[in-house]
Amino acid sequence: MTIYSFYIFDRHCECIYIKQWHQQDKFRPTSSAGPSGTDSPASLTGDGKRSSAGSTLLRSNDTNPSRPGGRLSVQDDAKLIFGVVFSLRNMVRKLSGPEDSFISYRTGAYKLHYYETPTNLKFVLLTDVKMNNLRVVLHQIYVNLYVEFVVKNPLSPVEHHGGEGVAVELFEMGLDGFIRTIQD
Amino acid sequence: MSANKAARIGEEVWKTRIDKVNAELVTLTYGSIVAQLCKDYEGDYIEVNKQLEKMGYNIGLRLIEDFLAKTNMGKCINFKETAETISKIGFKVFLNITPTVTNWTTDGKQFSLTFEENPLADFVELPDDGRAQNELWYSNLLCGVLRGSLEMVQMQVDAHFVSDVLRGNEVTEMRVTLIRTIDDELPPGED
Repeated sequence: MTIYSFYIFDRHCECIYIKQWHQQDKFRPTSSAGPSGTDSPASLTGDGKRSSAGSTLLRSNDTNPSRPGGRLSVQDDAKLIFGVVFSLRNMVRKLSGPEDSFISYRTGAYKLHYYETPTNLKFVLLTDVKMNNLRVVLHQIYVNLYVEFVVKNPLSPVEHHGGEGVAVELFEMGLDGFIRTIQD
Repeated sequence: MSANKAARIGEEVWKTRIDKVNAELVTLTYGSIVAQLCKDYEGDYIEVNKQLEKMGYNIGLRLIEDFLAKTNMGKCINFKETAETISKIGFKVFLNITPTVTNWTTDGKQFSLTFEENPLADFVELPDDGRAQNELWYSNLLCGVLRGSLEMVQMQVDAHFVSDVLRGNEVTEMRVTLIRTIDDELPPGED
């Protein structure tokens, strides 16, 4: 049971938090290199996300030097994931009414779990394919970590442009600990 | 969702999941905020109303997340359900009161909340300067809270008081109007 990465998107479609626990080589078999087998958390930093620079494939930026094997940067991954969940969610709603929301999807290599709050915050978790449904986990991350440590933090802004105010220490530690309990 | 069900959820959440504080602490804290604003704006009560609304708005933007986390509510189907939820769950869990939902317009976009009790206004007498009675909406913070929290769940509303027992009216009544439903934002295009 492995958890690859975790994303939060706000109601302005902006990615406000990224966390990766393993290099995602496992579900991108084409890429070969990169330090493997180590925990390498990569957190989101503000720059470069909103800028609309050219093709996604060619873009690289300071926070994430271009990776070997044509891999996308962390931010571009986030953009793609947003595109996928946004489209899927809208399609699902068109098909079966506004109450419905998609919960997860699976490919041959990974599984994507999705939870959206009524305030349009979107929580996404990528795991290996054998993982059970983690919607409850995402809900708990929202209730016990996001609301407690980000929303209720008086110093954190209401809107998190560039992820500002989300990656506070209490949230990070809580998230890390919580994810660890699921992986074991 | 029926009014009864909302009342049950409100009661349940309030009993089991809410940390309580002394009501007088809330009353006195709020009172000193209003008193200070009246001082700061030198008795310009219109401006005080505005500031209270703004403070409430900023509270509402965050409070909605806490509300959703505690109550585990999903989206309301229509504005009627929203009204019941505000009254029986929202006000219940945060202030332990359930204002009555009345005076619906026929298009279902406007209703009143009448407050039989209002913990913010206990012990309060408005200043006797001949103006406060006509200009100050003492509990105007609540209007802002509703506007802020509903905005986060894609409803743009206008909320304002139309009467207040503190002014000598018979009831305290807030009018809430749905202006529009806010559409989902679209991601910025790749160009």
